[in-house]
Amino acid sequence: MLQFLIRRTFGAALILLLISAFTFFMFFAIPQDPALLACGKNCTPDALAIIHKNLGLDSPVPVQYWNFLVGIFAGRDFAVGHCAAPCFGVSFANNQNVWDTILDRFPLTLSLTVGSLLVFLTLGLGAGLLAAKYRGTWLDKTFSSASLVISSMQIYFLGPLVLLALVYSTGWLEKPKYVPFSEDLGGWFMGLLIPWVVMATIFTANYTRMSRSSMIEQLQEEHVKAARAKGMSSNYVFFRYAWRGSLIPIVTILGIDLSSLLAGGMVTEFTFGLAGLGRLALESVVNKDLPMLMGVMLVSAALIIVFNLIVDALYAVIDPRVRLS
Amino acid sequence: MSIFRNRTTTAALVAVAAGALTLTACGGGSDSAAKDNSKQKEDAKAQSKPVQIGDAKASTGPAPEVPGAKAGGTANVYQEADFSHLDPGQIYVSDGKLLSRLIFRGLTQYSEDDQGNLTVVGDLATDAGKVSDGGKTWTYTLKSGLKDEKGNPINSADIRHTVERLYSSYITDGPTYLQQWLSGAGTTYRKAYAGPDKGKHLPDNVLETPDDKTIVFHFKDAQPDLPQMLTMPGYSVVPEETDTKEKYDNAPVAVGPYKIADFKPGKSMKLVKNTQWDPKSDSVRHQYVDGFNIEMNHDDEDQTKTLLADQGDAKNTMMFTGQVATTQLQAVVSDKAAMKRTIQGYAPYVWQLNFNMDRVKDKKLRDAITLALPSASVFKADGGAYGGEVANSLMSPTTPGYDDKYDPFNRSKKPNGDIAAAKKLIDEGGFKGKKIVYAYGNTPVRQQQAVLIADALEKIGLDVQKKEIDSATWYEQVGKVKNGYDLYMTGWGQDWPSASTVFPPLYDGTTIQDGASNYSHINDEHVNSEIARIVKITDTAEATKAWDALNKYITEKVNPAAPIYYTKVFQIFGSNIGGIRYSSDSSYVDVTRIFLKK
Repeated sequence: MLQFLIRRTFGAALILLLISAFTFFMFFAIPQDPALLACGKNCTPDALAIIHKNLGLDSPVPVQYWNFLVGIFAGRDFAVGHCAAPCFGVSFANNQNVWDTILDRFPLTLSLTVGSLLVFLTLGLGAGLLAAKYRGTWLDKTFSSASLVISSMQIYFLGPLVLLALVYSTGWLEKPKYVPFSEDLGGWFMGLLIPWVVMATIFTANYTRMSRSSMIEQLQEEHVKAARAKGMSSNYVFFRYAWRGSLIPIVTILGIDLSSLLAGGMVTEFTFGLAGLGRLALESVVNKDLPMLMGVMLVSAALIIVFNLIVDALYAVIDPRVRLS
Repeated sequence: MSIFRNRTTTAALVAVAAGALTLTACGGGSDSAAKDNSKQKEDAKAQSKPVQIGDAKASTGPAPEVPGAKAGGTANVYQEADFSHLDPGQIYVSDGKLLSRLIFRGLTQYSEDDQGNLTVVGDLATDAGKVSDGGKTWTYTLKSGLKDEKGNPINSADIRHTVERLYSSYITDGPTYLQQWLSGAGTTYRKAYAGPDKGKHLPDNVLETPDDKTIVFHFKDAQPDLPQMLTMPGYSVVPEETDTKEKYDNAPVAVGPYKIADFKPGKSMKLVKNTQWDPKSDSVRHQYVDGFNIEMNHDDEDQTKTLLADQGDAKNTMMFTGQVATTQLQAVVSDKAAMKRTIQGYAPYVWQLNFNMDRVKDKKLRDAITLALPSASVFKADGGAYGGEVANSLMSPTTPGYDDKYDPFNRSKKPNGDIAAAKKLIDEGGFKGKKIVYAYGNTPVRQQQAVLIADALEKIGLDVQKKEIDSATWYEQVGKVKNGYDLYMTGWGQDWPSASTVFPPLYDGTTIQDGASNYSHINDEHVNSEIARIVKITDTAEATKAWDALNKYITEKVNPAAPIYYTKVFQIFGSNIGGIRYSSDSSYVDVTRIFLKK
């Protein structure tokens, strides 16, 4: 296990280094000058040169990249003050410390992810198991049909519909907004209820279908049939033998979904007017904000790598036949 | 000023810009009134007269009470994007301007009546300024008892510091009029003085502060527009003691009726009352509400739907620079109750089709293209009757000197172009089959407009080569002298209600260089000399008349750009927001008089 972790950690560091280098150098390959955003009208070459200097864009690109890497481990000094490690720089757009901005946006994204995760895992896995257990019955048909319809929906379609029904038309609920958990638990819950419900509805449908099919597959396995033949109870076999095996593909997909949700539910955040990592990522691209883009990219990549690592480790827990080494 | 990108906004170009003598249609109205463009034009005509200069009495507070106003409560504000800047010296766009009206103060400001007429009055200064030396010297005296939010007194040294820091290398995004008028055009002012950081000051023959209350500006040429120019938020005071240079952009110090209590970049801003602000020192602003909660990340569609629904907290919510979304227009205008919560008016921008005169050299060809343009269809792609109106001139209806009867291309009778007349010119000039490169931005609106324009030009026999450009770098691309395009659309609006902020930047041939705003590269000797002459005229009425004459000369004798459409603003507010009025100064709601009805 330790060897596995060490090997994967080195691999992750290498991947992050490659991603950072690729993003950084690709940024300069794009024929757009971030200095223009701070140049006002009558943006003459002289005025642009001053801004290039202010933003540190007057140095050769490899030097800028090296300074960026050094900043992550040792911190850097900027005109707006010292940026302590891990320093991803200062935003071109608003002079804010990139790492502080990411930390500020992350709680919303985490809240969105965790809240919807609890709902869609409970409902999705529950409905999938019921559909598999009662395969062919009206219950199975209802869950299967509903999940097929709902899984074809998108957040940008379902979200505005729910807003129209619960906010704009009836005023039953307030518009979604983020209130920190620590400040007001009720406000946090009510503010994110609609996004949770919408996200969970779509994910629940996917997990219902996945859970059902995986469970049905497991129920056909020889070892499950053997357990039944030995006289074990139906429920015991269902949960102890079949369900455990059915979790492997679900955990795989969950790892991917979780990492992408944590890396930023861009569509969700735009649909509900929330400001998390997803919106930050898009804004940094639009504003040609290299430091912010690098910060968000690396944090997102790190989250994806970490969750993949957890998923790999979970395989061994779920299925003893899997050996990490 | 041109329509630039907001630094922190989303993809599309956003309308910016400070200043504007816009007009018309204060608060609310029926849908019939909203549709009545002739009424708006009447208002435009009335208000495009030159701005008045107020005396010391008009500059003395407190501001007249707003009928029915009540104190208390917190107004919510929806904004799409974060403010581009908080450092006054860097503020040049509308969202920053609205915020600055609440938290900053400069030497002068506009006082506005219910008809949208503007008068320049003293803000920190006792009056709009005393002029001498044929318009080259301006003297301002500060009011007594002025303090910043920390209780520090504001004196002439703070004004000197405010001016001097505009020369610092970290100030790059704000207006440059004052620096250029004091120390040289273009970026030469930066070579004359590098800012106050090393303890040096501008010489007394440029900027003088003989005592704690007096500031004297010495210009090389007459600057009759100085009182108006100083109303720009970019010239709001930055008290010397509190200046943190680059860091000021994140945490400025308030002098106006409100101050920043909490700011989460990209998310929200909370304004509370500035207890150091003295209403007796301010003849325009009010402090009715206890504060403003500004929430970002609400796009126009979201803002419109929420405010139209008017449920719960939305009743206390208002727009700053948001506009009724084009997708929601019908829903809003068909709701009579909701229309009473709207304001609308002309924005100062004129969208024009620039001819690259280095490439489209024959005036007859330029006239033919101008005649063929389907203006009415083009502006309908940008919001329809509530988003714009056919332009008959290169001058906006909001600019003093605008002549609504002047219609050299017969736009009033042929709003969708006069193909027959254009074809005739094409035949006369032998331009049939001529290749024309038409550049346009890659946004849905510009793409739709490109189809309409190309179609019209092909009808008159031109071979149109459409060239799509990334809208994010639009002004960079077309701002190059050798840009390789024949035609391209640009928008421009005045910085203050005077053609002096329109004609010199757009049509002065001496300014042509990469990045300059003379997008057509017009370099006409008569135009250049007239611009140089008119900007020095100190009599406003005479200058206005001269600009009007120059407008007609440029249009008829040169035709460097075809007028297409004027832009309009249409906003909606929650039902409990009181005091809403269209501001001729900001082109959006007048934020200085907002109150909650209950």
